[in-house]
Formats: sequence, C-alpha cells, structure tokens
Amino acid sequence: MKKKLISLMLVGAMASSMVACGGSDAGSADTATDSAATTEDGASTADVQSDDENTLTVYAWDENFNIPALKAAEKDYQDVNKDFKLEIITQSQSSDVEQAVTLAAEAGDYSTLPDIVLFQDHYIQQYVTNYPDAWQDVDDADCDWSGLGAEKLSYSTIDGKHYGFPVDAGTAIFAYRTDLLEQAGYSIDDVKGITWEKFDEIGQKVYDATGKHLLCMDGSGNDLFYMMLQEEGVSQFKDGEPYIKDNKALVEVFEIIAKMAQDNVLYLANDWSDYTDQAIQGDMVAGVFNGNWIIPTMKQVSENSGKWEIVPAPSLTGKPGYASNGGSSLYITGNCKKTDLAKDFLAYTFGGRSAEDGQSTTYDEALLNGGVIGTCAAAAESDVYQQGVDFFNGQAIYADIVDYTQNVPTVEQSDYHYSARTALGTALQNVIENGYTTEQALEEAETNLRFEMGL
Amino acid sequence: MYFHGKWLAHFPFLKKGDANVEKKKHGMTLANKQLAAGWLFLTPATILIFIMSFYPIIQALITSFKTGKGVNIKFADPLTYNYSRMLQDVIFKTSMKNTFLYLIVEVPIMLILAILLAQLLNNKDLKFKGLFRTCIFLPCATSLVSYSLIFKSMFATQGLINTVLQNIGITHENINFLGTAGTARAVIIIALIWRWTGYNMVFYLAGLQNIEYSVYEAAKIDGANGWKTFWNITVPLLKPTIVMTAIMSINGTLQLFDESMNLTSGGPANSTITMSHYIYNQAFGQGVGNFGYTSAMSFVVFILVAILAFINLKVGDTRD
Repeated sequence: MKKKLISLMLVGAMASSMVACGGSDAGSADTATDSAATTEDGASTADVQSDDENTLTVYAWDENFNIPALKAAEKDYQDVNKDFKLEIITQSQSSDVEQAVTLAAEAGDYSTLPDIVLFQDHYIQQYVTNYPDAWQDVDDADCDWSGLGAEKLSYSTIDGKHYGFPVDAGTAIFAYRTDLLEQAGYSIDDVKGITWEKFDEIGQKVYDATGKHLLCMDGSGNDLFYMMLQEEGVSQFKDGEPYIKDNKALVEVFEIIAKMAQDNVLYLANDWSDYTDQAIQGDMVAGVFNGNWIIPTMKQVSENSGKWEIVPAPSLTGKPGYASNGGSSLYITGNCKKTDLAKDFLAYTFGGRSAEDGQSTTYDEALLNGGVIGTCAAAAESDVYQQGVDFFNGQAIYADIVDYTQNVPTVEQSDYHYSARTALGTALQNVIENGYTTEQALEEAETNLRFEMGL
Repeated sequence: MYFHGKWLAHFPFLKKGDANVEKKKHGMTLANKQLAAGWLFLTPATILIFIMSFYPIIQALITSFKTGKGVNIKFADPLTYNYSRMLQDVIFKTSMKNTFLYLIVEVPIMLILAILLAQLLNNKDLKFKGLFRTCIFLPCATSLVSYSLIFKSMFATQGLINTVLQNIGITHENINFLGTAGTARAVIIIALIWRWTGYNMVFYLAGLQNIEYSVYEAAKIDGANGWKTFWNITVPLLKPTIVMTAIMSINGTLQLFDESMNLTSGGPANSTITMSHYIYNQAFGQGVGNFGYTSAMSFVVFILVAILAFINLKVGDTRD
C-alpha cells in the first residue's frame, strides 16, 4: 500500500512537472514571436521567415564573433531604412548551417531556410555546385567588389558570378608568448622572418625551458599544411587534381611538420575542442598559428593579457609568411522573397557602401564588439583599426592584420579542401606513429584523395 | 518472435480455399471475431511501421545504387558502383577494423565482468545489495553524449587521469591519450565497458533469480567448489541470457557512434572512427553529402549485423 502511494505521488509529480515545462515552453515561444526584434533562441527555428516586408532573417553561429557583426550591420542599415529589422537566429556551430541547407535541399523544401545564411568559405563552392536552387547570385548588387579583397572573393565567386558578401578575413596570424620566449633566451625579433627549421630549433629550447609547445594544431583537422603551403603560393591541388607526392613544397612542409611534432615543438590535439579548450585555453602553448578568428579564443585566458605579440609566420625560405584559413561570408538563400532588400542591405553594410561614404558603422562595431576583421579596404582606414590592443601588449594588431591580408597569395581552391586536409593529417599520423616514410605516407595520401574525388 | 509465432498459428483461417472462410462469410464465429479484432488493433501500428520504417528502407536501398551529389545524383553505372567502391575505400576499411577491434576486445570483457558482478551481487548474505546494484547500473542511466564528454575531459592531456597518474608517480609526463591512436582506442573501450557492464549485469541478475537454489545445494552436497558450481551450473543455465546479451552487444557495437563522435571525434586522423561515424561524416560531416555511398555503407552494416546475429543464434542453439 505504502509503495503504491509513493509511486502514485511520483507519477503525479512527474506529470505535473511535464505540464509545467510544456506551459513555460509555450509561454516563451509566444514572447519570442511578440518581440520579433531579435530571436536568439536557437531552438525556435520554426519561424525562419518573417511576414514583415522590412525584416530579414539570418543564420549565424558565434555570439562572441559574427553575431555582433550582424547586429552592427542592422544598426548601420537602419540609417537608410529606419523600419529595417534583422532577425538573427543563432546556431550552435557552423556545421548546423551546412546541415540545414543539406536537409532543405535533399527534401526539396527550401521553406525551412532563412533569407540569409552565414556560410564557411571552404564549403560554399560545392554547395552552390550541388544545390544551385538553394542560392541566389548577387552579381548585380550595388557595391564596389574590387575593394573587398580578391583572395577573399575567390571563394564566393562561382562561374564568374558573385554569390556572397565577405564578413571576416581568414588572414592567419602567428602569435607568440613573449614571456616564454624570454625564458628560453629569445626575443620577439628572433622569430621574425625565420625559416621553419630555425623555428623548430627555437621551439625545442622553449619546450626544454618552459614545458610549453611553440605550435599547436588540431590533429584531426590539421590546417597547418594548407597554411604553410599558401605562404609559398602553392596549393594541394593543381588543375583540379591532387598535387601531393610530386609537390616539392608540400614534401618539405610535410617533413618539417613531422619533425616538429616529434621534437615536442608541435602539439597535435585530438580534435577541435581539445585544441581550443585544452591546448590554447589550458595554457599548454607558447605560440598559436591560425586564422585571426582564433583571437577571441586566446583572449579567454585573461591572465596572459599583454604577453602575446603577433608577427608574420615563419616560412620555408625565411621570408615573412602570409596565409589565410577559414573565414565566412553571407549568402542569400533560394528561399528569400525579399531579394532586393537583402541585396541592398548586404551591399550597403558588408559590401562596404557605408564605409565608402565615410561611416563604417558595420565594420567598426564588428571589430569593437566581436573582433571581426573585415577585408573591406575602405573600412580599414577607420581609426578603430589603428588602435592598440592591450591583450597583445598594445600592438595595433588590426592594422597589422589588414596589412597581412594584402600579402596573402591566392592559391587554387577545391571542393575537396577538407578531404585533402584529412588525407594529409592521416599521412602525418602514419609517419609519427606507424613508422611510414614520407614518400609512402604521401603516396598513400594522394591515392586516398584521388579515390575520394572519384578520379 | 513470440508474437509472430503465435499469430502464424492462426493463419490457416485466412488461407484461400479454406472451407471455414467460404462457409462462414455471413456471421463470423467467435474465434473469427476475435481474430478480426486482433487484426484491427494491429493495423495502425503495421501501417505506421511500414510508412516510417520499411518505406525509407526501400528508398535507401534504391539510393544506394545512385551516385553523385545534390542535384547531380543519378543511377550509377554499373549499379553496384557504390558497393565495389567500398572495397577500395581505405577509411571504410579502417572504420571496419576499428569497429571489430572494439567488438572483439570489449564485448567479451564486458560480458565476463557483468556475469561475475551479477554472481557477486546475487549472494543471499550480501548487505546493501540494492545499493550496489544501483551503483553498477547507474552508468546506464547517463546519456551517451554526456558520459563521452566526461571521459573526454578526464583523459585530456591536462585532465584528471594524467594528474592522478603523475601524482602517484606512475608517469612523469602528460600523456596525450586522445591524440595517439592506440591509447585513444583504449579509452573508447574503457568508456564502453564502464557504460554497458551494468546494463548487461541486470539481465544476468534476472537470469540468476530463475535458477533454483536447490540446484546449488545439490551441487554443494556433491562436493562441487565455487568455481565448479559457477562453470557447470550457473553458466549453462544462463545460456539463453548470455546469447541474448551477446547479440545485443554485438549489434550495439557494430552501430557504435556516440563514443567515436563525441569522445575522440574519430581522431587522430580517423584512427578511431567507427563505421556509423564514417557514414555520418560522408553524409553530414564534410560538406555536401554523398548519400548514395552512405546508403550503400549502411546496408553493409545492416547485413553484417544480421550475419553475426545469425551465427550467434546458431552457436547458442542447443537443439540438434
């Protein structure tokens, strides 16, 4: 009897709590639609379109980075169209947007997509090729394309037509911990314009003196190959085919990466979160080399403020190395009915029309609030870009990065960018752990990549 | 299976040319009425299963003969292209090797542990039995994703395990557990054992309750020691349970996804990836999905599970 009573009470409690949950859910959904200004609840994807003719919807994924940039753009465009509203629908990561497009396209129902999506540069080409109906080109938008960075636009231009507006540059930075360099007997000047071999030598001393790695990377998604090759103006692809085992620069880059990993100079994290949370934020490293979007991650370790400085990367020959990695742009989806408004909004803000008029609210506030560094030349003249950053010992890193951006060589891109990355990452693993020679590993990588591409 | 057999026994009623059906068209007998009611109750579920499960399975089979991505998808030439492609796919082979490694190492350890624990906890004289049983079963109540993430942080280079190992003096340097292929696989196996042993133990406990105590008493009188009792009485009488848990474990391991996805992300460089995880990567993980190829791979996994379950049933079958 007692047991029955207890179980009855438990069931009752459970049922009432469920009712309560359901009630509060419904309530929050109501308030969300009432205050339609900015729906930041990632779960409420039901309303991806707005009936209001001056409201656009957009998918973006980083609260600390690209979402502040979009909010700045909304504010900027309200100067032109005061009724304009941008509904930002937060996604938890970039792949959520890719999957949303895949699902909509495979289901043949684009009504689940918002007006605009933020999309990763390395993926957009294959998505436009395979799902052409999911996008609308913006070739006739009213903006000066030549001022937006040629390397950046090479991703979003497909068959000679512009599809996207650049948001952040992927320009790579090499940040060093000056205090740790000093402990090993070096200064920041010692790492400027050096070869990777010299870098390896310094790295070993730093590791011996401090126990920290001078370089780190995600071992599963190893971007080092791509960035180090781009510095030399070389790609992993040539005329649409893999260019690996006969690629002299790649062989050299591969060998030095393997050596650095074996010398404890390079720490290979297991995956992305291990790289950001453990290696960088866990204070295991004395150097970070990646796209400048990595800066907000580094800034999370506030006790290291003032100890970092940024210089161009080492290279094979010792000349300053400039590369780019990642970055994203804004694209108008096939589901957008207010195409003219969307085009005008994007051209005015991220397309740089407002910056040319001398008020670059979008880019200034994107930089101030999110640390987003654009590729728009007109915006870079603003004072905001010239200011020093405390975290980087007062260095005017934004101006420096814009300067780097101009020097990044354009290299051949491929739909199979990430497949190449996986193939080379596996090759590296084979050399370090399974005792392969470089030739064997690269031969296998090329075979696997060709297989993946169906060649 | 049970329901299926039971309904089959009634099937002669419905056979064509059966005298009963011809005669009793008007005014059903009581048995027929009951049968009709049974079918009526079954119909909604059957229709739903057909629409939600069988129809997609057939569609997936058709898709598995197609190649290309997005709008460019079309029937492959030859039709078996995706299946022959698999034989040359190094990553698919790696994923298969990994999956079978997890299977061969983890399942026996887990089942033996489970049966030993069940035996211990079935002891009549043990105090706080309920508490211990709950403790061992508890890992099963945790979500796959959250336990994977907890293991990930425990085995991180600066995580709990490394700290403990160093403090008690076993190692002197942080070990990059998840960044090295061998140790990453070991971590997955340890995690799997932690998560699933209690689950299997519960089945064995239930099986043990069904063994008459008098059997053990008789064995004791005959002079059998503990090990002999376990090996000659407990194990044979638990055989049906052992076969069932083995089938479930094999099935579950072949479809392993969460641990590979969340604990190691398949890394480093695909060296711990499982088949399901590779299928997911090809469909959603790396740009535009290759749905033809992934469907084909899914069918291979499906066939593997079926074959292994069949072998298992045959091995466990004592009727000759």
